[in-house]
Amino acid sequence: MAKGSFSLTVHSIKVLIKRELVSSLQGWGFYGAIFVSLIVCSFLLKNFMGGIREENILISSYPLNFPLFVSVIIISFYLVVISAISISREREQGTLEILFYGPVSSFSFTIGKYFKDIFLYLITLIFFAAYFFGVSALTNLGFTYSLVKSLGLSIFWVSCVISFGLFISSLTGRVRSSIIWLVAILLAFLAIQFAHSAFLSFPKEALSTPLLYLRRTLYYLSKGISWVSPFSYISRGMESIQIESMKLYLLNIGYCIVYSVIFLTLSVYILKLKGVRG
Amino acid sequence: MRKTILFTGLASILIFILTSLIGFAQQKPSFAPTLREELVYGFNVFDGKSYSGGFVPETENTIYLIADHDNTLSAKKTLVYFWPITAKYMAGFKTLNEEVEGTLEVLKEGKIIKKLTKKDNVLSYPEGYFGEKSLFYKEKEALKEYDKYKKAMNKYYDELKKYYDARIEYRKKLDKFFKEVKKRREAGEVGPLNIEIPKEPKPPKGPSFYVTQPKKDFILNLPLGKYQIRLRAKDGTIVEGSEKNVVVFTSRRRGGIGYEIIPGNRWTKRESCNDPAMIIYAAGKNILYFRPYAQDEYNELYHNKLIDPQNEGREEKWIWVHTSPIKNVFLLFFGQGKLLKKIDKKPYYVKQIPGPELGYNILEYNEKDFPYQKPTFEGYQLDLSPNLKKTGYQIYLQKKSENTPLAKSERGIRLLRKKNSQFLYYLSLLPLVVGAIVFIQRRRGVVS
Repeated sequence: MAKGSFSLTVHSIKVLIKRELVSSLQGWGFYGAIFVSLIVCSFLLKNFMGGIREENILISSYPLNFPLFVSVIIISFYLVVISAISISREREQGTLEILFYGPVSSFSFTIGKYFKDIFLYLITLIFFAAYFFGVSALTNLGFTYSLVKSLGLSIFWVSCVISFGLFISSLTGRVRSSIIWLVAILLAFLAIQFAHSAFLSFPKEALSTPLLYLRRTLYYLSKGISWVSPFSYISRGMESIQIESMKLYLLNIGYCIVYSVIFLTLSVYILKLKGVRG
Repeated sequence: MRKTILFTGLASILIFILTSLIGFAQQKPSFAPTLREELVYGFNVFDGKSYSGGFVPETENTIYLIADHDNTLSAKKTLVYFWPITAKYMAGFKTLNEEVEGTLEVLKEGKIIKKLTKKDNVLSYPEGYFGEKSLFYKEKEALKEYDKYKKAMNKYYDELKKYYDARIEYRKKLDKFFKEVKKRREAGEVGPLNIEIPKEPKPPKGPSFYVTQPKKDFILNLPLGKYQIRLRAKDGTIVEGSEKNVVVFTSRRRGGIGYEIIPGNRWTKRESCNDPAMIIYAAGKNILYFRPYAQDEYNELYHNKLIDPQNEGREEKWIWVHTSPIKNVFLLFFGQGKLLKKIDKKPYYVKQIPGPELGYNILEYNEKDFPYQKPTFEGYQLDLSPNLKKTGYQIYLQKKSENTPLAKSERGIRLLRKKNSQFLYYLSLLPLVVGAIVFIQRRRGVVS
């Protein structure tokens, strides 16, 4: 019986992934997002190449890593938005209720959505690899081992971004609310981290006692944000590649897996708790 | 929906408050630094290659040292102030520099393992003060080394005095010589005069090495590990603020090969190529001068803190530190698996272009063309002509006595194709092309 229920769950996940994936691949949004990320990348690379003056040298192990980092950030914004609206849209349109009358559970639904976005990113990765290979062939900038490592690690970063988006989506009942929540949370993260780094530039002597307390509070808040914000995993991962520490690289993969599991579990739990009508 | 609006409102208020507070903090008027009397430790530590000096302010609790090397510490009372431009504490040793006497106790796991008193020490620079090497001498050897330097200096001063006397004599002889020539020419003498031309005396050469004045400090030489230090005053009490942690570390990897690269068109702005994963990208014509070094790899945080305890760094990062120049090697330039050039080290002289124009020429040095001058640098010259056909090349080092390349000396050189960067935008169209194909396929499917 348990085996039958498991295979039914797997089947419904597969059907959900297929349905959603085909729908995303047939729309222009996905290709548009990759195009935007690559055009920004081209702009950066063109400026970078222009920055190396004629009759000059540049010594680097990874000149393509920063453009890749920017591309991943852009595509992550696209994925976080589509995952943030994915549950709330189905809820708003009433399809969630219909699906839940069938063999679809909150677990299979959330996992289906998660893997659909992961597959979308894997397809994006093919575009990225082809693009950077093309860049290397055109300009002779090295398609290095560290770039391959970055491409591999980006799957785990994106996993964090998607699970965070699904978590936001599970909390809200409407598409508009999901987007407002997402933007507000990300802005709050950004504001706290910006304020903290701005405070760090002042010596203790230049700050009054309340400001010193505020600096301390901001320090703890930004420490917390560095574990909650999915985007901080991207910068942490990039750093592990830059300093060529295999230990940190594997540790970052571990962090991303733990982060994704926690947020996916929370999403399933909240979806169950709130029900199909929110 | 209400909750969402409330949350957005709260987030906006929070951002506004934080921005205002930062603005308020930034509007504080400028101020003169507040000087504070503090007990600091002055240090001269082995940094992997030579010795670096500095001080440890009260705000830093830990001193970092390299294992199994002599390092000096001295406790001093001085005036410390915060310098906002560098965001670091500075010491006003010129205003107050008072040695704090006592015994330095070294503790490990709470037990005293060493009691140190101040000892004489000097730093010796065998290749001169601006040379790359410095050696540490202590106690009797330090005094002996300084004595050797003093004697060499005295000898030089004596020779200099003799040289100046000889020059006065030379001027006199020269005047006499010209007068004699003039007199005989006026007398109508033609042809060779057979008068001996006075010889110009040569200036003496100063000692090529330099030794600092002996001073008394605590000399610390500890094996790998974590320790504590404190200063015990003559009355038996511990001097307040003298307790510090000491982290003694060592290199993770030894015997790497790194390069300092001097680009011909900006010789004062040198580049480093230390990591074997680094690639040298070159655009257009480039003349590069390679200077190979043996290098050891240290923890970035520890090494940065060793040189200046107020420095920042990451414990997870490792950096290469050049230890000594590699001698008696050739630089091999390879392309497509073939040896293209075998380059030997040569001295070069940087000659400024005379006149108001800026610029210089890097010329191969020889004593004949540049008398009384020293070469500016020595290196292996590699000419990367834009006419090189392929784009990927490698360099290696090879010992003169052997035929095999030195391990860890390989670096890749890639010639950039800057012109092609204009085509990068076309590459970005790839997803749109795929999207269009998918769209057309889908429409065909719907129609059929």
